[in-house]
Amino acid sequence: MKNKQRLLRSFLREQAGENRGTLVLMILLIAGSIIASLLPPLVLEQVVNHLTAGQAVSLGLAISYFALIVISDILESLQNAAITVFGQKMTHGIRSALCAKLSRLPSEYFHTHKAGEIASIFTNDGDTIDVLYSDGVVSMFADCFRLVGILVVIFTRSVGLGILLLIAFPLLFLFTRWSQKTSKSAQLDNRRAIACVNSHVPETIRCLRMIHGFHAEKHMEDTYDGYIRESYDAVDRGNIIDSIYSPVILISQAAVTAVMMIFAAGGSGYRTLFGISVGSAVALISYIGSVFAPLENIGMEIQNIQAAGAAITHIRDFLAETEWQKTETRPSADPNVSFLDVSFSYEAGRPVLQDLSFTIEPGENVTFAGRTGAGKSTIFSLLCGLYEPDKGVVSLQGENPCLLPDEKKRHLFGLVEQQFITVPGSIRDQITLYDSSCTEADIEEALNVAGLSDVIDRIPDGLNAPMDEKLFSKGQLQLLSIARAIVCHPKVLLLDEITANLDADTEARVIKALETSAQGRTVISISHRLSQSIGRTRIIEVGKEN
Amino acid sequence: MKQDKLLSHPDRISTYFKTEIPVLTVVTITGLVYNIGMLAGPYYEGRLAQCLYDIMNSRATAGDMLQLAIVYLLVIALVQISRAIKRFSVRRFANNISRKMRRSLYNSLVHADQKQLSDENLGSLLTKAISDVDACSEGMRKFTTEVFDTGVVMISYVFMLVHYDWRLTILACLFTPLAYIAAAAMKSKVTAANAAYKKSASSLSALTMDRISHAITYRVYGREEDRNQNYEGALQDYEKKSAIANLFEGAMTPLYDAIAMLGCVMVLYFGGRNVTGTGWVVWNIAAFTTFLSCFTKLAVKTSHAAKLFNAVQKAAVSWKRIRPLMKEPVDDDTDLESVPVEKADLSFHDVTAGYQDHPLLQHLTFTAKPGQIIGITGEIASGKSLIGRVLIGEAGYTGSIQINGRELRDLTSLQRISFITYMGHDPELLSTSIADNVTLGSRIDPDMYLKMTSLDTDLKEMQRTSKDTAGEAGSMLSGGQQARLALARTLSHARSILVLDDPFSAVDRQVENEILQRIRKDYPDRVILLISHRLYHFPEFDSVLFLHDGTATFLPHEEMMRQEAGYRSLYEKQMGEKDDEE
Repeated sequence: MKNKQRLLRSFLREQAGENRGTLVLMILLIAGSIIASLLPPLVLEQVVNHLTAGQAVSLGLAISYFALIVISDILESLQNAAITVFGQKMTHGIRSALCAKLSRLPSEYFHTHKAGEIASIFTNDGDTIDVLYSDGVVSMFADCFRLVGILVVIFTRSVGLGILLLIAFPLLFLFTRWSQKTSKSAQLDNRRAIACVNSHVPETIRCLRMIHGFHAEKHMEDTYDGYIRESYDAVDRGNIIDSIYSPVILISQAAVTAVMMIFAAGGSGYRTLFGISVGSAVALISYIGSVFAPLENIGMEIQNIQAAGAAITHIRDFLAETEWQKTETRPSADPNVSFLDVSFSYEAGRPVLQDLSFTIEPGENVTFAGRTGAGKSTIFSLLCGLYEPDKGVVSLQGENPCLLPDEKKRHLFGLVEQQFITVPGSIRDQITLYDSSCTEADIEEALNVAGLSDVIDRIPDGLNAPMDEKLFSKGQLQLLSIARAIVCHPKVLLLDEITANLDADTEARVIKALETSAQGRTVISISHRLSQSIGRTRIIEVGKEN
Repeated sequence: MKQDKLLSHPDRISTYFKTEIPVLTVVTITGLVYNIGMLAGPYYEGRLAQCLYDIMNSRATAGDMLQLAIVYLLVIALVQISRAIKRFSVRRFANNISRKMRRSLYNSLVHADQKQLSDENLGSLLTKAISDVDACSEGMRKFTTEVFDTGVVMISYVFMLVHYDWRLTILACLFTPLAYIAAAAMKSKVTAANAAYKKSASSLSALTMDRISHAITYRVYGREEDRNQNYEGALQDYEKKSAIANLFEGAMTPLYDAIAMLGCVMVLYFGGRNVTGTGWVVWNIAAFTTFLSCFTKLAVKTSHAAKLFNAVQKAAVSWKRIRPLMKEPVDDDTDLESVPVEKADLSFHDVTAGYQDHPLLQHLTFTAKPGQIIGITGEIASGKSLIGRVLIGEAGYTGSIQINGRELRDLTSLQRISFITYMGHDPELLSTSIADNVTLGSRIDPDMYLKMTSLDTDLKEMQRTSKDTAGEAGSMLSGGQQARLALARTLSHARSILVLDDPFSAVDRQVENEILQRIRKDYPDRVILLISHRLYHFPEFDSVLFLHDGTATFLPHEEMMRQEAGYRSLYEKQMGEKDDEE
């Protein structure tokens, strides 16, 4: 646990270091914006003091008041933008790290974890981290300084008011936190109720026949109204807080102002404590108006920081996931495909393959047969380098498939998956998988072999058209899968039960495409039916002896 | 809160405002007090400063200040309390409207025809409309709020300013329209930046999903590094777009404020001349500070006035989508439980039925009397389920189907369901409690029926009670348990004729035996049509309707075995399988 924490913290420090420029700029902007926001009331003080002394307000003074307000506004929005950018940069760094981590995870991870849940670490938790920075840590820092800045100026003008505010602050801060907590819990209740409200509608549509058949319309309406009322009550609770919060703060402001003025007008003893001129009274009233806003923000920021706890845990745990430590075994340099005494299990104690050995010579056509669960697909996973055997040696043309460098993989083997995986982008991207080393000639040849050229020609924009599964029939998607597998001229072709769920007509086309593509290659397949159709094949039974 | 009646004319926006008159009255009164009272702040703050000035020049005493400060505090308190009440009432107003709109929409959904729902895409339209309700009521709330907070306040500020010095007011306010012009000019850029940001965000999240869900494919094809680089590009784009969108959005407020505040220069300069006695009117310090702070607040308000139009526009868009779906409410209070169950004969005479004018079954003739169980079977796709669909009015027929001598097609839907209780393939369970799934809000005792379908023992084993939820679409229960819960619901609401379409497909035989026995015992006066592909119990039934070749034969089991080779082979095959199993 400690270790994990250190991991994330050192990572964050590194991130902050990398974005040092942004960090410095942000701090400068925050400082500038705070100072600028303190100045206009001071000019106002001058204006009023001039007036009480019977002097006219010079145009220069009037313009400088305006200019200071504009500058302070501009600096404030620049400050906000800088905080956002900083938050974004930090989140960017985290997301890059998360993405890089994906490549280092064992393949198993993707089977044992739902894609949606992993993605939520990237998106939702990532966004929370963004909020943690932009509306949490950094802005809290800024708001604290703003608060201190205002207090310092107030103390230079009126020690009495400063003391008054120091008394009022803790009380109002407690009130703020209480309000925010209450309204947060109301929000959560409401969200829960709204989830019921929302899911009740599709549920009604799904069960409509039953509802009509049992005359349960009224009951369903009552249930619906019950959910709405739950949400209504929760919202109401939140609304009470919402409605009174700002009035309470404003009444407190007025009270502070009133007390200050009474003391300022009081006896000489008080006057030295509160000793203020008319000008500084006007300026101070204006400061009192802006001193409570940072207080409210700080409360919100504390809440955001607290809320980020879960997200931090998710990210930390994900980054600490055990990575795949590949063993550096090299098979003998024979250019065949072979298993030598291979054993493999997904979970300890439940072996899927035990001491399996076979050799497939170059150019051979082999089919693995066996009942479901005998380990046929596992053999493919091992051949593709997704898993390492617990024992024994896997050789793919004299290479350890797990240690194959990325750029060599597709030239060595092509896998035609059971289901075509559509990736975002154009039709070309479906075939190349964004590999720019595939030439136009390669793509054309692959399409020809797969028997897809005419289909692509009929699509406006052809290969450059954005991919849409609706453009292709199921069989044609399978053909696309074949084109993807052979575009880099692999020496070995792996076919994973690809004609399952195809009608006879489409199956014939797929088989024809496979026959063409099998020429001059080692072909290893899982579907019995298919291999018989693409010519002579040697059958290796898997899991028979068990 | 009591359950109030559904609104008539839910398709008129005025309907909602009318029902909310009491709340709106409170909003109006407190809104006026608050917004006009907003002037009190600057006014009294000016007077406080003036009073201090007077004290220093010995023209007032500390007692005057005390009095003034107390009045100031009281006035502010009154104004702010009004504000609190107004804020709360406006929110309650929006809540009420949202609730009423949802209920109206839901009412038309729950009473919609099954056919209409699928044919006209009504289901998804209504679902969307219900999600629009929030935007709509939120818009109505904002509108009501802004009418006071922007409209009334701006007018009262302008009055106040004019009262102090109309020439200076005109001079200072000259710049305000500039803020609007600038806002209009910037708007398209802001929208474009925002749209670009949203697009980048959605493409990033699509890429995230792709990278993760296709991780294995990318690994097999050696594309992981390439995808990571691509993801990095998307991250950079997202970061850039979000920064731009943020800058544009953040830049707007100071821009408006700056332009509107240009008037400040005028106020300070000419206002100062007023105080020193060289201006258009004669001012004291109080007038000067009041005018200045009024003007500052007006300038800020002005830049927010655009919100009023935005809110109304948004609400109008969602209302446009909702409105056509707002139907007059169907208020049907009939309680089926209170209608007595009437014994009924069911007879089919030369019935032809099918989906969409395509006859699947022809010349169906049979009769069932109270107390009889009829087993209906046939090969796959022989039209077994069609018979149930005809009886619940989902499929049409020609010929004659009579219940106690009354033609089925002439019955109202209420009359039909007071004779026929149907259980289909899909258990159609609700995500409410298990008990609620049985009772559907009626006064039925659920435990009796849970026992009847042996669910009580299941619940005990799962250490749960009937008060626990059945889960989304019954997901907390196994397939067999779901089917039995649906059966419990059907039995608890059983009318004269029970149509059970394959109730035991996911139930093991032991339990099936027990349940059937209980049904026979507890429902001696009903007609039961049991549609099934499993024939173990068919020999015990009063008669069998065997569907084949687009028509049906109606005979007792023994006869059927003799006469229908198809039935015989189905039956024997199943009995043989059973032997294999054991």
